[in-house]
Amino acid sequence: MARDGSLLAYVLTRIVLAVPMLLILLTAVFVILRILPGDPVLALWGGRTPPQSAIDSARQQLGLDQPLIVQYFTYLRNIFTGNFGLSIGELYRGQSVWNQIAIRFPATVEIAIGGMTVACLVGIPLGVLAGSNRDKPVDLAVRLFGTIIWVIPIFWLGLVLQLVFGVWLQWLPANGRWSGADAPCSAPSSCLFRTGMYTVDSLIEGNLTHFVNAVAHLVLPSLTLGLVLSGFFAKTVRANMLRTISADFTEAARARGIPRRAIVYRHAFKNALVPVVTVLGLQFAILFAGAVLTEKTFSIEGIGILLLNSVTSKDMTMIQGVVVFYATIIVVISLVIDVLGAMIDPRIRL
Amino acid sequence: MAVVILVIALIAVSAYALIPKASAKLPVELWYNNSNHYGSTEVAVALALQNSIASCGKVQVTLKSDIWTAYKTRWVNQQMPLFLLGWYPDYFDTDDYISPFLAISGAKSEGSFYNNSQVDQWIRDEASTSDPTIRADRFAKVQAALAEDVPYIPLFTGAAQVAYVNGVQNVELHPVSYKWFIVNKPGATVLNASTSDHIISLDPASAYDFMSIEVINQVFDTLLVYDAKTTALLPGLATEVPTVANGGVSADGKNYTFHLRQGVTFSDGTAFNSTVVKRSIDRTMRLDLAGSAAFLLYDVGALRADHAKGNSAPGVITTPDPYNITFHLFSPVSFFNQLMAFSVSAPVPWTYSQIGEQPSTVGNVIGTGPYVLSTHTVDQLVVLNRNPTYYKPDLYAVDGISRVPQMDRVVINIKSTDAALKQDIETKAVDVAFRTISPVDLADLQGRQTSLGITVKLGSSPQIRFLVFNVNLIPDKRVRQAIAYSIDRSAINSLVFLGQVSPLYSMIPAELPYASPVFQSRYGDAQCASANALLSQVGYTIEVTRELVAVARDR
Repeated sequence: MARDGSLLAYVLTRIVLAVPMLLILLTAVFVILRILPGDPVLALWGGRTPPQSAIDSARQQLGLDQPLIVQYFTYLRNIFTGNFGLSIGELYRGQSVWNQIAIRFPATVEIAIGGMTVACLVGIPLGVLAGSNRDKPVDLAVRLFGTIIWVIPIFWLGLVLQLVFGVWLQWLPANGRWSGADAPCSAPSSCLFRTGMYTVDSLIEGNLTHFVNAVAHLVLPSLTLGLVLSGFFAKTVRANMLRTISADFTEAARARGIPRRAIVYRHAFKNALVPVVTVLGLQFAILFAGAVLTEKTFSIEGIGILLLNSVTSKDMTMIQGVVVFYATIIVVISLVIDVLGAMIDPRIRL
Repeated sequence: MAVVILVIALIAVSAYALIPKASAKLPVELWYNNSNHYGSTEVAVALALQNSIASCGKVQVTLKSDIWTAYKTRWVNQQMPLFLLGWYPDYFDTDDYISPFLAISGAKSEGSFYNNSQVDQWIRDEASTSDPTIRADRFAKVQAALAEDVPYIPLFTGAAQVAYVNGVQNVELHPVSYKWFIVNKPGATVLNASTSDHIISLDPASAYDFMSIEVINQVFDTLLVYDAKTTALLPGLATEVPTVANGGVSADGKNYTFHLRQGVTFSDGTAFNSTVVKRSIDRTMRLDLAGSAAFLLYDVGALRADHAKGNSAPGVITTPDPYNITFHLFSPVSFFNQLMAFSVSAPVPWTYSQIGEQPSTVGNVIGTGPYVLSTHTVDQLVVLNRNPTYYKPDLYAVDGISRVPQMDRVVINIKSTDAALKQDIETKAVDVAFRTISPVDLADLQGRQTSLGITVKLGSSPQIRFLVFNVNLIPDKRVRQAIAYSIDRSAINSLVFLGQVSPLYSMIPAELPYASPVFQSRYGDAQCASANALLSQVGYTIEVTRELVAVARDR
């Protein structure tokens, strides 16, 4: 009972601490965007500058005619009431910030999950293999792979995969999320609910052809993202494997005559995985915020491209919205990881 | 004695420092936009210009860049002495290449701050008459002033481009608007296409970007429309093009009467009539949505005396009966017909929002055009289906296009990169790739047309690119003329665009009436001797140098 109470207190403390953190972040974003040079309103008309009355009218429509302090408190009030406002940038002008995030987030989630799946399937086994065969050729090979794949520019790897599998061999679609006019669940009556993730939606509507279409588009971006991350994962898992393999409990198991394979996989691997999960979780959270280069290379309109476009057009409301969304994801996932860690290892709560 | 020597030495050093140094290079900052507002070639264009100006030997060009929002703020705040800019016309009339740049108000808004009251008067003259003799005279005079005063240096006109799978028909690179509804793929009902442009709004009262207007042109109609291949105006929702001869335009050029077609309905079944047209125009002017082209109606189109936003005043737009509408302009506007062919004038149904922008979603985008919007996934996909109630399937019968629209469905995939467009046509994932394939990729596709089974088509684009001088920051016109002499357009064309663009020697492209290549006859290309002779006359005076240094310091 005491233990449950302690965990609850820990969770509550973390949630309370997240609020001032978010407030500081929101304020910093608001101030930085106003300090940076450039007037997003003037940019709305491209190369043409309309009469001053039109510019003044636009400032009024976009709420930029108010004093900064009024804009700041309006912004905070809106954010905390779930109103992310309307875009003021030239690309998304007048569109709901929340809608834009909601439309793009599923695409980002799909490639994040795809990339993480590839990274885990490739990186973790390689890390275990290397860690359990320290300084042997296989270890050297994995370390070399980890270093090379981690430093390869992700857009270059993406372009190579596009060229080979998309253009030359034409085994897979080279870009985009979908081929054709009938995206999954596009007809209102075809699905009970819609997630925006084409793989999931095609399963919901029970259409195998759609599912294959969606997965085929996901393979190359997932491979690109996953292979690069797998280098980092392999090195992280290897380092933790080495630490646990040389730990006292492993030595004790070995002294009791437990087979090496069992020591590696039942004891060393499981213990090595605890810190790895924290790293993986945070990496996942970062991917949720958008893998900008992968999205751009494969023409996938996710959160990353949204943020990139918003920054280049100084779309203040959109940048604020995306950053808040991003921060919330990081805070929530960090919280979940910390809570999981605290549940597994009570020392963390001390 | 030592003090005297010291004083003499100080005076000598000061005098030496103050003597203008004719051998010193003139420092000039050349700005370009680095957020791809004009495509991915911008830095290469800037580098080619830097090289061509600097290679004459007497000007030191420093390249500077900024993202579009900051760039535009800089030119309004007069922080850029020389910068790259582009222009895409709103209405297809020669005036749209002159008044926005050389009229006093236009020059201020474009960042050159050129102020010539005589030129301003000539522009007012040409804008207020449809008499070709007067217009020719005024445009000639304005272009001569442009070449003499050099507030701008015209560089090149962009190339319209499209790549399509062999067998696809009627792919016309129209100078004003690309018409998806005339493209045909025999034996198929669906046309698949890709573009790397983005749609911002499908409300005619709001749209003011290329791709949004493209889609609007497929779904909506205007009173007048362009011919399938040329820039000639044809009756659209109106039954004839108003002229002085047919009584549609008054002798003073201030009243335009349009006779409307009967029996036309919007795709939601509601009726089209003169009240709808008036309400649509008033809606656009009253809402004056941020970033919209509403000012083309109330300001450029002279539909309001004060040129401010708001409904038209009583009596300005009159609807004597359901099928006649007259616009009583506050001043003559010779290109009013062209304004009525622009998307901002497209009639919208009675049900459209009167307090804000109409959503660009399926069911909310309702026009009278050949297609209806059936899918719109933001920044991913647009699907257009045949409008079964389209009023004029024989619109382009004289051009050999039997019916409009040709295809039952057009699927436009929106891609984030130019490279994706090339991949799509290379793998034949789509039938047509339209705007914008990079010059290198385009040249590659051109070279492999036969093996790939595709056609790459280039056409003239109404877009122009040019350099802007802020005449307040570079006030000596001899400096501007010297730089005009040093520009090498062929180098830009060959190095950056692989021969795909055309050199431009006036702000008016060669395809438009009254164009005169004044910069070709006056300055030519890469005329270093003439450039240097002028700069020697200037002597790199302290005044000019100080002006430029002051600009650099202010930033």
